[in-house]
Amino acid sequence: MTDHVAQLNITEDAPPAADLELDCKGLLCPLPVYRTSQALNRLGAGQVLRVECTDPGSLADFPALARQRGLTLLSATERNGVQVFHLRKETD
Amino acid sequence: MEIIETAAGSAAMGAATEAVDVLSPLRRQDRPARLGASAARRRYADVRELIASPANPTPLVRLNRVVPPGAEAFLKLEWMNPFGSIKDRTARYLLEGMRERGELDGRELVEATSGNTGIALAALAALEGIPLTVTIPSGVPEEKLVLLRMLGATVMPTPDDLCPVDNPRDGAIALARAVAESPAHGGRYAMPNQYANPDNVRAHYETTGPEIWEQTEGRVRTFVAGYGTCGTITGVGKFLKERDPSIRVVAVEPQRNHRLPGLKNLQEAKAPAILDRTVIDDVVRVDDGPAYAMAKRLFREEGLIVGPSTGAIAHAIASLGAAGGLAVGVSPDGGHKYASFYADYLGEEGQPR
Repeated sequence: MTDHVAQLNITEDAPPAADLELDCKGLLCPLPVYRTSQALNRLGAGQVLRVECTDPGSLADFPALARQRGLTLLSATERNGVQVFHLRKETD
Repeated sequence: MEIIETAAGSAAMGAATEAVDVLSPLRRQDRPARLGASAARRRYADVRELIASPANPTPLVRLNRVVPPGAEAFLKLEWMNPFGSIKDRTARYLLEGMRERGELDGRELVEATSGNTGIALAALAALEGIPLTVTIPSGVPEEKLVLLRMLGATVMPTPDDLCPVDNPRDGAIALARAVAESPAHGGRYAMPNQYANPDNVRAHYETTGPEIWEQTEGRVRTFVAGYGTCGTITGVGKFLKERDPSIRVVAVEPQRNHRLPGLKNLQEAKAPAILDRTVIDDVVRVDDGPAYAMAKRLFREEGLIVGPSTGAIAHAIASLGAAGGLAVGVSPDGGHKYASFYADYLGEEGQPR
């Protein structure tokens, strides 16, 4: 799993502060992506969303979601089966 | 008018007219019993009794102007069902099956639907106090989403590109399954899953098919329906083939990226598990253009206010010509829910200049 993070070339230290937190633990794909998309609609440009997931598919889904929606994936970490993503919305 | 007898009024009246009791014909115990159900008067105790069945079939109406001369073709008007589409039959069978298997006890419902199954499920679920969540693929008219919300359903519009990795066209089905199976929901949701539930096929094998056989007095030679959940084509096809294997069953398939809600192009969408291809003789491809053109002709030349998928099915029937004998096509739903789609199609037509 850490290989994934290395591939993304993202550092694991100093997680950024989040404007909104979303708990997607125990939700199966594609629910985390769906709920993240909904939550992003409530954020403005420059704001950061923190998402916690447990579905292993999320490790592939969130980098793809970031590319698709023009978001910056600030961090992607996994600990004890929980993945944590920080996404910054760049444009309204 | 309700006559309410008060103690004071009764006493006063009694005092004035001791010999003749003028109120007697209107006394409560003499009034007729409350109106009960009466099939002869088309009076029902509950709207659910209106869902079509062989005892109460949807009408077959002959096409007189949009088919070639000599063709004997009928549309079965499924929009005469109480919640407006062929899916009333499906929803009833899905819920009855789930109830019999004990899958409904204390649970909520979640289903993926292009709208009609959702509307029928929402109406039935509302009558039973069961909460319903529907996941809806893109390309469903706003009218259907509003009807679902009016019926109290929770609506989850699902964009085609929801899954950023494999990007399947069936995102709504994947999302409904995720709602049903996510550990965080603790088994709170039951999913009828019309695409894989044999009760969907059984609804048409036990009702739509027998109705068509009876209504045509066994003369039906060709049956035409769309690829959708494939409940109709599989259930009716199976029933008719058992009656007479030489009856031709024709499936209508839309183009890729079509605008015909309820129909599926099986190259871009997964074939539903309940589809039985052995009952299908031919597949006719109908693109959006001819489907909408035929829908407009059905409005104007036959007086049939139908949805776009009926346009595709009627176009297929017309293209078969007169040689195939008596043809019956399904008209899955009516046109009112597609006002916004038809507005796009018409453009400036019918607007004053």
